[in-house]
Amino acid sequence: MNYNLALSDDILLSIEKPERYIGNEVNSVTKDKSKVDIRFAFCFPDVYEIGMSHLGIQILYGMFNSYEDVWCERVYSPWTDMDELLRSKNIPLFALESQDPVKDFDFLGFTIQYEMCYTNILQVLDLSGIPLLTKDRTWDDPIVIGGGPCTYNPEPIADFFDIFYIGEGETRYRELFDLYKKAKAEGISREDFLHECAKIPGIYVPSLFDISYKEDGIIAEIRPVYDDIPATIKKEMCLDLNDMFYPTKPVVPYIKITQDRVVLEVMRGCIRGCRFCQAGQLYKPLREKNVERLKKLALEALANTGYEEISLSSLSSSDYTQLPELIDFLIEHCNEKKINISLPSLRIDAFSLDVMSKVQDVKKSSLTFAPEAGTQRMRDVINKGLTEEDILRGSQQAFLGGWNKVKLYFMLGLPGETDDDILGIGDISNKIAALYYETLPKDKRNGRAIDIVASTSFFVPKPFTPFQWARMNTKEEFLDKANKTRKGIMAQINQKHIKYNWHEADASMMEGVLARGDRKLCKVILEAYKKGCIFDAWGEYFKFDVWMDTFKECGVDPFFYTTRNRTDDEIFPWDMIDAGVTKAFLLREWHASQEGKKSSNCRQQCLGCGAASYGVGVCKEGRNNA
Amino acid sequence: MHKLRLKFSKNGPIKFIGHLDVMRYFQKAIRRADIDVKYSEGFSPHQVISFAQPLSVGATSDGEYMDMTVNSMTSTQDIMDRLNSVMNEGIKILAVTELSDKDGKAMTSSFAARYKLSFRENLMPDFDWTSEFEKYISQDKLPAMKKTKSGEKEIDMRPMIFEYSLDKDAKELDILLSMSSAATLKPTLLFEGFFAFEGKEFNKNALKIHRVDTYKEGFEGEKHYTEPFITDDTSKRFYLSDAQV
Repeated sequence: MNYNLALSDDILLSIEKPERYIGNEVNSVTKDKSKVDIRFAFCFPDVYEIGMSHLGIQILYGMFNSYEDVWCERVYSPWTDMDELLRSKNIPLFALESQDPVKDFDFLGFTIQYEMCYTNILQVLDLSGIPLLTKDRTWDDPIVIGGGPCTYNPEPIADFFDIFYIGEGETRYRELFDLYKKAKAEGISREDFLHECAKIPGIYVPSLFDISYKEDGIIAEIRPVYDDIPATIKKEMCLDLNDMFYPTKPVVPYIKITQDRVVLEVMRGCIRGCRFCQAGQLYKPLREKNVERLKKLALEALANTGYEEISLSSLSSSDYTQLPELIDFLIEHCNEKKINISLPSLRIDAFSLDVMSKVQDVKKSSLTFAPEAGTQRMRDVINKGLTEEDILRGSQQAFLGGWNKVKLYFMLGLPGETDDDILGIGDISNKIAALYYETLPKDKRNGRAIDIVASTSFFVPKPFTPFQWARMNTKEEFLDKANKTRKGIMAQINQKHIKYNWHEADASMMEGVLARGDRKLCKVILEAYKKGCIFDAWGEYFKFDVWMDTFKECGVDPFFYTTRNRTDDEIFPWDMIDAGVTKAFLLREWHASQEGKKSSNCRQQCLGCGAASYGVGVCKEGRNNA
Repeated sequence: MHKLRLKFSKNGPIKFIGHLDVMRYFQKAIRRADIDVKYSEGFSPHQVISFAQPLSVGATSDGEYMDMTVNSMTSTQDIMDRLNSVMNEGIKILAVTELSDKDGKAMTSSFAARYKLSFRENLMPDFDWTSEFEKYISQDKLPAMKKTKSGEKEIDMRPMIFEYSLDKDAKELDILLSMSSAATLKPTLLFEGFFAFEGKEFNKNALKIHRVDTYKEGFEGEKHYTEPFITDDTSKRFYLSDAQV
């Protein structure tokens, strides 16, 4: 236990939730700092409860600490009360385990999971006393490295990072650490070290790339400044997840966090190819984990943490071929030990309903469907392979099984959307409600009415999806569509049983700018941060007006990134990244969507997306590419 | 089935963990220790455990108590060893005893608490507080406003102070305060009253609170006493006067 906290008792007692800053959690790792060569501060740039819920950090934290010469510690964004306190008292930001200043570390790594955390990256750098721009840093500063889904378009934050790691973290860090040790031993310059880093597969050093623009602001050329570094950076990926480190001693927080349970990752990747979904493309191809290993990992993690709940994690757990066996095993073990099983991302069918009735209280739980769009036409456009028939059949089975709560998720602002698609949201919600009353005569309802919650989010086009070419809607269009959706629901016979939720449009617009932004946004983000923008992902702190003023002052038009139509041959800011799926494939899919044509999933037929070049996972399952 | 009472300490950074989180911490520790704890019936069963009195965030303790029912065990020593092998350093199980059916729950049968009180080094009062405290506490009545569910009411703190001693060199107060469902006096309320008496501003984060032990009540013929929940040492008994009941 580390008794030397960075903050005095009275400071910790004067702020909200001091447990966020004291470290010392069960399974946190403490090492003798004089006996390690590399100190790595791993940051999730959001509040502790969110950051601690992230599986990726737990994986890399455990893996790094399994190396004898590395000590990895955690850092999260200090909440606003602590932020003010650190600034007013001039206390440098510290890592949780050693409570030492972050500036003293060799590496500061950020996992970047959503665009709206960009100002929090600057907050962490700033509070640590590290120059915000890579060009201003020296060997006195840690190497600042970023990873995670947002780094597939690293350009809006390119100026703030020394290095980006593109892809899955398990594969190249050892190489990077060894290079760092060698650089330190040989006393080479920081610039030379970064140059060497750029030769490691998966490593992108943004300062070593020149970007030139055409008069219209679109990119003319992306060029590395050295001949001996690759011009494109191919995503790193685990070829066999069964060989990879998986944390069975994750850090267990004292306070309740968002994902407060053992998380068992059953596979990576997805076969579905929904055209709006970035994760579905980034993690291709689908790779399953061996079920025997998963059983072992589950038991170990439960025993080492004492958690009372375990959750399966993947993009679409129903596609895991060994799911019945794994679930049977978990149910047997967990019933005995009074452990809850949580099964998100299951397709509703006879199998999943049977499983759900075993692991949860049917009366309290709800069914979740994500049709994403209101009509079959639109679902074909987005390649969401869920039909109205699937939804109604699943609902009917569920009603017979005792369920009466249904949650429906839709998106507004999808490419080619018409009023029919928007009104379709009300129609399908009503059909489900009507089906409840048709299916169950009054005496079988136990006095319970149908309870439907329909939610819409605003569609944000993302890089490396077929919709990366798509025009995004304006705030006004979004709000108009939300209003039409609401009216469409209000016009239904069962409208009093349908609740409608929609999101804020301002934050979606901002997300849209950052998602497909280029390097010109770096100065906007920097200025917005200097004006006090922070915790933009939190509605109560998001300052849309300040952002819009900053765009104006910086002479950057935010709509260039959102509502502009992109031509097929446009060079995108992220074109130096090779995410495994080819641009030609994404373009084929974009064109197919415009023709309203569905595509098959990876298990039905290979679409030749390019991920087969890794030669693993579903690409080798034999039905295709044989 | 065995009903057990566990005594534990809470020291170091763990003092910042709030009461509900300490409960959650124990629920996980009991699972890690693989103790055959009894669960309640129903769709979401929970462990049959309960705690004596909450300790305020920032306070340390060498005398916290928890009751736990187990279906089976080899010995109380085994329970203690298993738990200590999975504990964080700051929380240590100090003793485990088996309760009989007639014993009440720790939660309802706690009666008093002994504290050592001092000030954090960087937040020492600017006056000789130990000498002043002696003057303050020697009054017949110590009025204070106590917050209740329905607002505030005036109480007299004096009968809730069972005994005390001051170490003027160490600048530390040892004090036994009432802590029962009928009457609980928190150290911060006492010091608020003291500072008000001195005409000084009181910063409650400056007070360093260490709970030495939690006490239950007992009777020895006519004599009413209070003593630590788990003890073999009758010299630790404090006999209550009529005014202190």
